[in-house]
Amino acid sequence: MTEFKPKIIGFLCNWCSYAGADLAGVSRYQYPPDIRIIRVMCSARIDPMIIFTLFKEGADGILVGGCHLGDCHYISGNYHTEKRAYVIEKLIEKTGMEPERFRLEWISASEGERFSKVVGEFTETIRGLGPSKVKEDPELETKIGAAVGTTLSFRIRALLGHEIQMAEGGNVYGEKVAEEELQKIVDQAVEVEFRRNHILEIASSKPSSAKELSQVVGIPPDEVVNHIATLRQKNLLGIDHIDGMTPFYVALLAGGD
Amino acid sequence: MAGPVGAVMVVGAGISGMQSALDLAGAGFKVYLVERGPSIGGVMSQLDKTFPTNDCAMCIMAPKLVETGRHENIELITNAEVEMIDGSAGNFIVTLKKYPRRINEERCTGCGVCAEKCPTEAIDEFNEGLRHRKAVYVPYPQAVPLVYMIDKEKCIGCGICEGECKAEAIEYDEKEKIIEVNVGSIILSPGSSKFDPSVRSEYGYGEFKNVLTSMEFERMLSATGPHLGTVVRPSDGDIPKKVAWIQCVGSRDKAKGNTYCSAVCCMYALKEAIIAKEHFEGIEPTIFFMDMRAYGKDFEKYYNRAKDEAGVRFVRSRVSGVQEDPKTNNLILSYVERGEIIREEFNMVVLSIAMNAPEEAEILSHRLGFDLNGHKFVKVELFEPMDTSKPGIFVGGAFAGPKDIPGTVAEASGSAARAATVVASARETLTEKKEYPEEIDVTDQEPRIGVFVCHCGINIGSVVDVPGVVEYAKTLPNVEYVCENLFTCSDDTQTKMVEVIKEHNLNRVIVASCSPRTHEPLFQETMRQAGLNPYLFEMANIRDQCSWVHQHEKEKATEKSKDLVRMVVAKSALLDALQKGKLPVTKRALVIGGGLSGMTAALGLADQGFDVNLVERENELGGNLRNIHHLLTNDDPQKKLEEIIGKVSNNEKITLHVGSKIEKIDGHVGNFTTTLEGGEEIDHGVVIIATGGVEHKPTEYLYGENPNVMTQIEFEDKMTKGEIDLSKSDKIAMIQCVESRNEERPNCSRICCSEAVKNALKIKEKNPDAEVYVLYRDIRTYGFNEDYFQDASEKGVIFVRYDTENEPQVVARKGGLEITVKDPVLDEVLKIDSDLLVLSVPVLPQPDAEDVGKMLKVPLTKDNFFLEAHMKLRPLDFATEGVFLCGLAHGPKFVDESIAQAYGAVARAATILSKDEIEIEPTISHVVDENCDGCAYCIEPCPYDAITLIEYMRKGSVKKTVDVNESACKGCGCCMATCPKEGIFVWKFKLDQLNAMIDACLGVA
Amino acid sequence: MEEQEEYEPLIVAFLCNWCSYAGADLAGTSRIQYPPNIRVIRVMCSGMVHPNLVINALTKGADGVLMCGCHPGDCHYLEGNLRAEARSEAIDLMLVDFGLEPERYRLEWVSASEGDKFAKVVTEMVEQLKGLGPSPYKM
Repeated sequence: MTEFKPKIIGFLCNWCSYAGADLAGVSRYQYPPDIRIIRVMCSARIDPMIIFTLFKEGADGILVGGCHLGDCHYISGNYHTEKRAYVIEKLIEKTGMEPERFRLEWISASEGERFSKVVGEFTETIRGLGPSKVKEDPELETKIGAAVGTTLSFRIRALLGHEIQMAEGGNVYGEKVAEEELQKIVDQAVEVEFRRNHILEIASSKPSSAKELSQVVGIPPDEVVNHIATLRQKNLLGIDHIDGMTPFYVALLAGGD
Repeated sequence: MAGPVGAVMVVGAGISGMQSALDLAGAGFKVYLVERGPSIGGVMSQLDKTFPTNDCAMCIMAPKLVETGRHENIELITNAEVEMIDGSAGNFIVTLKKYPRRINEERCTGCGVCAEKCPTEAIDEFNEGLRHRKAVYVPYPQAVPLVYMIDKEKCIGCGICEGECKAEAIEYDEKEKIIEVNVGSIILSPGSSKFDPSVRSEYGYGEFKNVLTSMEFERMLSATGPHLGTVVRPSDGDIPKKVAWIQCVGSRDKAKGNTYCSAVCCMYALKEAIIAKEHFEGIEPTIFFMDMRAYGKDFEKYYNRAKDEAGVRFVRSRVSGVQEDPKTNNLILSYVERGEIIREEFNMVVLSIAMNAPEEAEILSHRLGFDLNGHKFVKVELFEPMDTSKPGIFVGGAFAGPKDIPGTVAEASGSAARAATVVASARETLTEKKEYPEEIDVTDQEPRIGVFVCHCGINIGSVVDVPGVVEYAKTLPNVEYVCENLFTCSDDTQTKMVEVIKEHNLNRVIVASCSPRTHEPLFQETMRQAGLNPYLFEMANIRDQCSWVHQHEKEKATEKSKDLVRMVVAKSALLDALQKGKLPVTKRALVIGGGLSGMTAALGLADQGFDVNLVERENELGGNLRNIHHLLTNDDPQKKLEEIIGKVSNNEKITLHVGSKIEKIDGHVGNFTTTLEGGEEIDHGVVIIATGGVEHKPTEYLYGENPNVMTQIEFEDKMTKGEIDLSKSDKIAMIQCVESRNEERPNCSRICCSEAVKNALKIKEKNPDAEVYVLYRDIRTYGFNEDYFQDASEKGVIFVRYDTENEPQVVARKGGLEITVKDPVLDEVLKIDSDLLVLSVPVLPQPDAEDVGKMLKVPLTKDNFFLEAHMKLRPLDFATEGVFLCGLAHGPKFVDESIAQAYGAVARAATILSKDEIEIEPTISHVVDENCDGCAYCIEPCPYDAITLIEYMRKGSVKKTVDVNESACKGCGCCMATCPKEGIFVWKFKLDQLNAMIDACLGVA
Repeated sequence: MEEQEEYEPLIVAFLCNWCSYAGADLAGTSRIQYPPNIRVIRVMCSGMVHPNLVINALTKGADGVLMCGCHPGDCHYLEGNLRAEARSEAIDLMLVDFGLEPERYRLEWVSASEGDKFAKVVTEMVEQLKGLGPSPYKM
């Protein structure tokens, strides 16, 4: 049996975490060699779409490192990272993948030791989980695909982009929107968009009925029917054929928001 | 005292309000059309199809929407409610509250990018909650005005739409506005509201997913609905096989709903059942009903078609309850048939819910100070069906009582006539006439074409390479000037366009942007401001039919845009300047028929100051109303008749021709000449047909043989004159549908059930102990008349149903009659000994209707009633302009309905009589005499009989050719496509123009 | 043969102003996608289109001609669409004379609310014409 060599990707921000990793080197702190570091200027660069695309490709673990809150070189970049991580975690939960495969850490330029510790722990965790099941579990792969679709949806991106402004500076009516209120809005949007993208993923591989979709997606058929209405309105879904009294739907490539 | 204000306010902009507004604006009054919602169209815009023609509702309604939206004398005030009213008839000050739309109505171009990008979803009320819309939205794609609106309740305030809107139309901080409007009279047409079926909890609405309301089902059927026309079960997305309609949910329901009948549900259920089956053959519709009320024009035929051809099953039984099988979400209906309780499983249930008074009924009544009736609809009198209790305020459409679309449209026109009466002397005091610079003659000029290519924000520009199209257009022949605009339709671009046209001496203009259906008039207006003939304008639709539908094929969409521009450039070079024709109008009306309808129409016209010639064939006025001695209401018909005859006889505007027959009618709209027998000639601009109807004389049931058998009218007459002693003749039977609703006369006569109830109640009033039997097939006391039917039942009138397979048998017995009838419910044969037998017989058209039809070249139905231009939306018009219709000549109807139609015909006629001359669209047929050899192939295809064959002398020989009647031609071009010699064409669609487009398209130019 | 794979049929379409042109607009407002192979000529009524126009288009190289009108009974001009239907039979016969396949001409009823149907008709026709190959009259 070959030894499991986990594929771990680490996105590190240039100003804090990457410097921290350098410090770990300068200080000769040892950590497992499985991680591959990608330097980015700010952790906020990490589009959730990138995370799920990597998971879809078979990444075993992804670590994102940024400056401590308040220390961001770009003032508020890592606050955005935090919001994105929240959506990423929500989506991972919905796909059923092990949540430990994604980790966000604040690591400063002076925390070389902490960096080595985090990587050590994270690698250990991933080794414990074993290789990603995405490639062998088609259902999981579909769900990760749906998560990619969700992160690409304008609705989620728009909400992520405006969340902080609305909480801190108030919305366009000059009303401050409570954190919990915003969280509820985001939660609901993530839920709805994920289900719709899941439906589309399934229907793009095989024409499916509402009842079939309900079983695979794991939501009641009447909710599926509602999503079908929206997807058909956007011309993302069409009837492939009708078998007896049951319409079978297929994803349409031509449609769009 | 100053005269009245020449403006009218119409409150509520559904089909009723739109019709009233169009009639008034067309007759020279300023109209303020006030609508609570963000757009006009009302309930009809939600409908998929309409009975009994199965016309697509949007197809027939859209032209009216557009016309209302752009009429220069109609000011739309959306999102607004009436707050207060001051003043009196002739001069009201109305205070309106306009709620913020939060999108600038002037700036919004309706491009829809805001809604596309909005991250917030909300329940889509237009689709009855079966789908989502965004927090910024228009109710439906064809909405007028096409201006988006922010739903503040749902909006989270993220600000995305503001960033996306290239027209800079978003105004988050817009506030409520108070508007004061000065008008002379007011029409209320707020429509109706829907009964909440959860009140009838035994049907499980709201609890069982597959129980829908009729309006939800209607949206399901619509191609623009939640599932694009596929009917699916909300529970699991399957197409339902067995679908049950439950009628009278909230109607005829004393316990929990309304006592009245909602008048339209039987017909819409029939329609929904037929259409559902058309959509998917596997659907098996069943309608559960008490009485099938297919009482309107050609409705019975529709019912028969549903039964005999469309495979709709009918069960005459009231469903007592609906239960759900939790496993399958199927529904189990319990009902009684032939004394047995039956439980039957269905896949979907549709509740035909009642039409309630509009939600704002009480508020409106309170704020404006008019009375409501016991059902919260407007209280009106039988002989004044559009007048509220407050002078100067009128009512149209469903607010006066539940009614179908044709009834609504007729009444809306009627209320327009009533409202116009108040302000007639101020006609054309507040309307605007635009002044334009003198038109430049371009006849001998080489074409100099200007092309304006539109980005439409990002709607076109994000898909089509607009600068590329601009560069390409510059290379095309005759093109002198090309530019690109962010929004070509915006105000500032229009101003720029005028300057550019002048600066570059352009004589043809093309806009490459959206659809000519919505935007051509706007640009044509700009042409006129620049001194160009508006017919030298063309559009290339590179948005609706290109960038929007090829979003993922940018290069090909750009190529297509170039092709489309090339095609219109080719056509444009060949365009002709066209002038609208003008016909003078003789400001006088001819009314044919001096019954209630004809006299009402004559008075209505005279009240607005028009001269009328009223022709009545009989020697006295009054028509059928002379035979009516009492009514369901307390009105005294003979007293009313006397009043009306008095008014007609003493009105100096009305010239009476009693005892006169018409020999012939010549001419066309604006200029008719009618010759009476005896040679008298009348010149007039319009005709109103009010020839009325007659009671059918039956041959069955011993009629004419036995003196104790008579028709309802004969009975009423004898009873009134005291020729029947009800203390002796105290057993009276009535048979409904005698020689009606059969093969020979397939339609229902609408009024006979209520007439029978009326006479039955009269008998009971005179002798409460009298036994009255009514043998019926369906009781069709629709609308508020249902209350009288209930009253009759409570007073002991016995209603016995019979089937057509077992029609009642009548034999004469000594001193009376013996009637046997099989009761299909009890499955028993009943024997009734009666003293009198009263037959409810159909209403027939006047026998000479056909002659009048021929003289005016207007069509009749198979039953010889007049056939209107469109059964739904033009109930009083004919395809032949200038000829209108009302009363029994249109079909059987009650006093109030006849009056509504008569006033409606007045309003329609006033749109012509109010003008000195009428304009004729120039895009009509034109004969090329050199090419025409008089083969006459074009004559028969013309739907308007506008073409005649003529002969004249040319160079010493007879030349045959055809002649087009310009006032009749509508420009459909059937003649052009039939002509083998290019001898006739339609302006702006000439063969060489169309061929130029083809050649340009195929690159063979 | 390689060229045939790249062949994109060109369809000239006559759409009546009141129903079908409105239906095509609705496909736009509803963003229903269909292939960009169609060039629309707006006419007031399908009954206005002379058979010669159809034949001209086909013999000058259009791969197909699509004619759309209101559903029977819905015609703005009462029965212009029925004229178009009757003429279509004649056009079908003319196609034979010109050596053209019957699929190259198509008459469809498209109402103002049938944006999806319009898109479907165009998509189908493009597919069909792709199968048929370019018009023999194509230069």
